[in-house]
Amino acid sequence: MSERTRRRTVEVVNRLGMHARPSADFVRLASRFAASITVSRGDSRREGPVGKGTSPAGSPMAVNGKSIMGVLMLAAERGSRLTISAEGEDAEGAVEALAGLVRRGFGE
Amino acid sequence: MTAAITVERLLGAEAPAPPLENLTPGVPLDGPVTRAGLSNPGLALAGYTARIARGQLQLFGETEMSYLSTLPADQVRWRLEAVFACGVPAVIVSSGLEVPSPFLDAAEGSGVAVFRSGLATAELHRALGPRLDDLLAPTTSIHGSLADVYGIGLLFTGPSGIGKSECVLGLVRRGHRLVADDLVLVSRRGSDIIVGRAHELQNFHMEIRGIGIIDVASMFGTRATRLRKRIEVVVDLQPWDDARDYDRTGLDREMTDILGVEVPRLAIPLNPGKNPTAISEVIAMNQLLAYRGVDMPTRFNEALRRAMNPLDRPVDDHE
Repeated sequence: MSERTRRRTVEVVNRLGMHARPSADFVRLASRFAASITVSRGDSRREGPVGKGTSPAGSPMAVNGKSIMGVLMLAAERGSRLTISAEGEDAEGAVEALAGLVRRGFGE
Repeated sequence: MTAAITVERLLGAEAPAPPLENLTPGVPLDGPVTRAGLSNPGLALAGYTARIARGQLQLFGETEMSYLSTLPADQVRWRLEAVFACGVPAVIVSSGLEVPSPFLDAAEGSGVAVFRSGLATAELHRALGPRLDDLLAPTTSIHGSLADVYGIGLLFTGPSGIGKSECVLGLVRRGHRLVADDLVLVSRRGSDIIVGRAHELQNFHMEIRGIGIIDVASMFGTRATRLRKRIEVVVDLQPWDDARDYDRTGLDREMTDILGVEVPRLAIPLNPGKNPTAISEVIAMNQLLAYRGVDMPTRFNEALRRAMNPLDRPVDDHE
């Protein structure tokens, strides 16, 4: 891991999970940072069914945190864990802000 | 990375497998299948188990079952136990053949599930082989959009907000087909083909900045969509940068690596006034011509050289 890479795992706490509105809030905030941001589901211990943020072989899928389509495809329901990684000058601030947004339940 | 799937996912009640009868309902189906293809144990039953591959399904056909029927019950049992000890995740008996009780005892004792199918051996290979290949293929996900343009799979990459989705929307309006927007799931077929598709949940929706999420299939009809497509050219859309050198002749092709497969990659600089849709159509047509052996820059350059040096013999382009 380079010194400008930061990673944090957070739990989705809002009742409806990462539906379109929270996902839009997430990518809007992510886009304010210069760092490249990827998000994956952190609950990779089980082989997830396709359609729950996994690739065809069931491995965790990493999506671009600035892409709403990507973030929506994680289909992160309440209680699921997301790993947010950022790489770049402002990586620390980015993971801090994004993890905080998820942890606060997107103000829902 | 070695992919693995469980027997449950491949052959369980929920799996889209040919009809199978589970003869050992007490055996858990959590064993990992890690190798593509189905193997007929053949010689392994005679004691030569060295070539049994761990993690591969074993298919018992007429040969295996009739051979076993010549053996006394205790031999059937220990010979099968020797095979099952080599990391066999599950067994399929073909052609609806009778499975003797020592066989099932050995399987249950070794924790190997036994399924029976009415299909013949060759039909089982055909029914399960491609699905195994698909599930065990190396995969990755790429931030980008994939479209079928004149039958050529163009994968658009580039930073967020550069206009990948807008480019694909322009192509769809011109009669080309959307495969995946923003997130492309890629898997390798064999050693030289990579295929992209969208995540199931995407279902031909895309995001256009300023509008939001649109359903391309409702808006443009089913002909504007395609479920999967081989990725043939990577089109990397980039912000215009005066300091960067872009390819001006097309004589040299840059390649990029996706899952170990080399794919041509073109860096296309965008600034206001550039029409990425028209450029994309030209890239696709260029690739179609390349498949037919037509290399326009080289042909042009050769004609130019002949005009300049009418007496010279043909020279290699890279001299």
